[in-house]
Amino acid sequence: MNYAAFSVFAALLISEIMGGVVLLVAWPARAKVFDYAVPVWEVTGTFGAFWVVTGVFAYPGLLVPVASIFAPLLMVFLILWVARSSSIAFAEFITKRGWLDETKLYRAYAISTLLLGLVVLILLSSLVGGQGVSLATDSFSLFSWVTAGNLAFVIGTLLLGVGFAPVFFDLPPLRRLVLPFAAAGIVISVAAYWLMSPTLLTPWMAVPVLLTLAAGLLYLLPATAKIVTNKAIFLVVLAIIIFSLQPLVYPVVIGQALSIDAVTTSGAMADAFVSITAAGGLLLALLLALYMRIAARGPSGPEPP
Amino acid sequence: MVFDPATMLLFVRFLFAFTIGSHILLVSTSIALAFLISVADFLSIRGHDPTYEALARRLTKVLVISFGVGTASGIVMAVELVGLFPSFMTLVASTGAMVLFYAEISAFFLEVLALVLYVYYWNAFKGRYTHWMVSLLVIAGTLASAVFITMVNAWMNTPAGFDATTFINSGFKTISGVQPYADFLTASGPNQIFHVLATTLLAGSMVLGSYFAYWFIRSRDPGEKAICGRALKILGAIAIITVILSGISGSEQMGNLLVNQPLKYAAIDANLVSGPNLPDRFFGIIVNGSYVGGITVLGMQALLARFETGVTSLPGLNQFPPSQWPPLLVSLTFNVMTVGGLVVGLFLLVYFFAFVTKRRPYESKRLLYLWIPAAVLAMVVYQFGWATDEIGRQPWIVYNVMTVAQAANTSNALLVPGILIVLFYLLVIPVTFYLYARVFQGSKPKEGVAP
Repeated sequence: MNYAAFSVFAALLISEIMGGVVLLVAWPARAKVFDYAVPVWEVTGTFGAFWVVTGVFAYPGLLVPVASIFAPLLMVFLILWVARSSSIAFAEFITKRGWLDETKLYRAYAISTLLLGLVVLILLSSLVGGQGVSLATDSFSLFSWVTAGNLAFVIGTLLLGVGFAPVFFDLPPLRRLVLPFAAAGIVISVAAYWLMSPTLLTPWMAVPVLLTLAAGLLYLLPATAKIVTNKAIFLVVLAIIIFSLQPLVYPVVIGQALSIDAVTTSGAMADAFVSITAAGGLLLALLLALYMRIAARGPSGPEPP
Repeated sequence: MVFDPATMLLFVRFLFAFTIGSHILLVSTSIALAFLISVADFLSIRGHDPTYEALARRLTKVLVISFGVGTASGIVMAVELVGLFPSFMTLVASTGAMVLFYAEISAFFLEVLALVLYVYYWNAFKGRYTHWMVSLLVIAGTLASAVFITMVNAWMNTPAGFDATTFINSGFKTISGVQPYADFLTASGPNQIFHVLATTLLAGSMVLGSYFAYWFIRSRDPGEKAICGRALKILGAIAIITVILSGISGSEQMGNLLVNQPLKYAAIDANLVSGPNLPDRFFGIIVNGSYVGGITVLGMQALLARFETGVTSLPGLNQFPPSQWPPLLVSLTFNVMTVGGLVVGLFLLVYFFAFVTKRRPYESKRLLYLWIPAAVLAMVVYQFGWATDEIGRQPWIVYNVMTVAQAANTSNALLVPGILIVLFYLLVIPVTFYLYARVFQGSKPKEGVAP
């Protein structure tokens, strides 16, 4: 459940990171990013909170080590999170007066979102490979984290983000970037997992690799491009790809040093976790159904019609 | 430079207090905004009043900013709790308190999706009343979030739903007898929820009203004055209702403390010794075992306690070991809260009197000038109320179970990012309030709105 929440959150965050890439390198295409990001960034935040809370609920035994090891990195994450949320919230409605305007705020949003992505990647790679983490002293060292595997993990993910931004936001002038960036991103990401630990490369890894390649190829074919540029489909596939990477953090994390089962909740709390997730999930499904029904009629903001 | 654990504990306490103090500024205004928008929207539909409609539409933009920054700040709270107080969160995660956090996330989903629908799909609904009802979902989500998080705080004050004795005796290793749903109704929960909701809405409506009072005085545009007048009409009504509810619920709270947290009661009322016929004391301090300075009203505390709970003998600090006493300055924060609340109440009584005698207080410059300091005082009272609750529970983070010192992460690595968070909040909070005003004024229709 926690990993499912993470998959949705990560898919939404990656979509915003791709939007950030477009805002920084292809500003004239910004309208497509605004149309998507403006109603969605709050939903990303809510799923982020959902992931944190399900994580705390599901793995109470993980809290003390995670808090001790990653507290400084989490604080940096928090600063970037507030910066990203406040800059897009301000940018949406601000009117030009003085030096602060929409363009500067959207760029601040793009930069803080990209940096946020970097912090998340550092956290994830150290959770997977364990480099930089000392369980003996419950501390984290950024210098020790800098290894070939972790750098490849960051670069591979960045290449995938740049490669798929034209797909997600349907930017035909940038379509020639898709396949080279996607292919390079896949190769470097797989190499990163091998460098972190060869045991991470299981046959399961074929699922995300094939889905990622397929998404890139489908965009290049005129007949199928519409499938992958449909944002709902793209996000669902992306969430599935991320979900299929679950073996990276299960059943052991931090370089095979910590068993997830040993820190997972049990007994009455596990039952409560399932019951409330079902009830909350039902509420969420009903709300999303209502949202889809109304959204199908097209957006119309608070301005008078 | 390396700081010892005691210094880092102080820093961790300060960091969380500072962040939550900043966060509740955003929360209280967000909740009041949601109410104001919903009432204005309803009145615009019922009375076909374009001024109310303009007010609601313009404020939705402010609500989005408020919600966006508030949500981000809420996540800061959640992650900070894990980072700063990991042992506390381990206990939370293994007991029913976690169920409350989880329920809060469901409320959060309700709030965010209803807000997106209400703001971004205003004209996509078939009927105006149907659209207006979505604003009720926003309010429901907002209030439910506040209720669930207050339940967590109530659980910290009067813990339930697990075997505390086994937990303590095992050195915090064994958590047994867990009842996941018991924490929905702890001994202090209902009173605390009632008081928090009333005071939050009071503080938020006063702060929002201060902006409209300022803008009414400053603007020369009759359309803008009409909008401010409408907002002040609604906010005045909300503030008058909630100040009454705050008084009633505050009195209930004291009764609850008397029964469930007698030590906290004794500390905030500065009762050095227990007994009947105790006086009420204001703005003095306890020095070397005796109460110095301030004002003493003989017999008042005993009278109020008898009225609230029927209890005739009141608790004193002498009944508890000094090692368990909270910092005794808590009686000062309590005095600021009660006396300040009384002053805000008196201002609103004058406002109400002007309203019933048809003197249009929302257009009286004299009252509007007074509204601004009254709003500052209302927010001070609100902050001191939370400070009283938290300081009064010290040294415990979970009353009689775990101390703050036992729960805290005192790593030196927290220092630099912690200072950065403080600096960042010092920038973000004023900028957010500045942009509220700028966005509201910037969304003014060019031709103005007819009053």
